[in-house]
Amino acid sequence: MAGLLFLFSCSTGEFLKLRIEIPRKTTIQLDGFEELIITNFLVKKEAEDFDMNKALTDFFSAELDQKLEQKISSTAISFENEELFQNKEFWQNLFPDRKSAILFTGSLEYTQEIRKAIKSMEKRQFETPFPEESRIEARKFYSLNLQIYLIDTQTGDVLYTRDFKESKSYRNPNQTAPFAFIDLIETVRDVLFRQLLGEEQVQERYLIK
Amino acid sequence: MNRNVVVLLLFLPLFVIFTSCSQPKPQTQLQFGILAAQKGLWDEAIFRWKKVIQSEPDSSAAHNNLAVAYEKKGLWEEAEKEYELALKLSPNNKHISANYDKFKDRFEDSEKEEDKDNKKKDKNK
Repeated sequence: MAGLLFLFSCSTGEFLKLRIEIPRKTTIQLDGFEELIITNFLVKKEAEDFDMNKALTDFFSAELDQKLEQKISSTAISFENEELFQNKEFWQNLFPDRKSAILFTGSLEYTQEIRKAIKSMEKRQFETPFPEESRIEARKFYSLNLQIYLIDTQTGDVLYTRDFKESKSYRNPNQTAPFAFIDLIETVRDVLFRQLLGEEQVQERYLIK
Repeated sequence: MNRNVVVLLLFLPLFVIFTSCSQPKPQTQLQFGILAAQKGLWDEAIFRWKKVIQSEPDSSAAHNNLAVAYEKKGLWEEAEKEYELALKLSPNNKHISANYDKFKDRFEDSEKEEDKDNKKKDKNK
C-alpha cells in the first residue's frame, strides 16, 4: 500500500512548468551603435496651436533615454521633401565625424476633425413620460500618421522603417490636440519598442526532470 | 489489535506521501540546473545542462532544458538547434513539442514583422 501511494504521489514529477520572461527577436541590433540622434520630423499636416515636432522629439528622447544605454542627443535638420529619406549621401554627410551613430527621423501627419452622427435611441420595454429621441452626436477625432526611419550615419542606409497609423475619437468636445497626441504616441511607442528593443513577454515553458 | 499498530498504520501512508513529495535534494546535474533556473540563475543552469550533455549526449531532457535557457537569453539559433535535437531524440514527448511550437510561433511572428518592414523598405526604393 505504501509503495502504491509513493508511486501515485510522485507521478506528476517528470516535468516542471515555468512562467518565464522571454525576450522578443529584435528587428535591428542597436548594440553596435554608440549614439542615437533624434531629429525633427518632416511635418506634412499638423494640428493648430501645437508644436508637434517638439512634443515628438521630447517624448522619444525621454523614452529612449530610459531604455537605451547609448547616448541620446537631438538635432534639427531642414527637410525639403520625403525623398530625402532615401538619399544616402545626405545622411552620410550630415555627421561625418560621428562614425557609430544612428539617426531617428521620419515624417508625421497629425489631423483633427469633428465627426457627427445620428444616434438613435433604443426602444424601451416600458413607455417613459419623457421618451428620448434620436439626436446628433459629435465626436472629436484625432489621427496620427507617423513614418519612422532609423538611418546609419556612416553608410546612410535605412536600417528600419515603419509606418504607424493611429487614430482615436473622443466624446469630450474639449479634448485638446496635445493630450490626444500623447494617447496616440504611446500606442506607437509600445509597438516600436517591442520591435527595436525586443521587450520581454511572459511565456510558459516545460523543463524536464 | 495493539493500539500502537493501529496508529502506525494510519500515519504510515501520510508519512510516505509527505516524504516522497517534498522538494527532492538535487542529486544530478539535470536537477541542479532546474533549481538554478527556478532561481533565475540561467547561466548556471546552462552550465549544468551542458555538463549533462557531455556525459549523456542523448538526454532529450537536457537538450530541451538547454533550449529553454537559450530562449530566455535571446539566443534564438542555439535554442532552435537544441529543440530540434531534443525532438529528434524524443519525438513523442508532448512537453518538448509544446515548447518547440511556442518557440516557433514567437520566432515566426518576429520574422513576419521583419519581412513586412523589409518589403516596405523595398517598395520605397
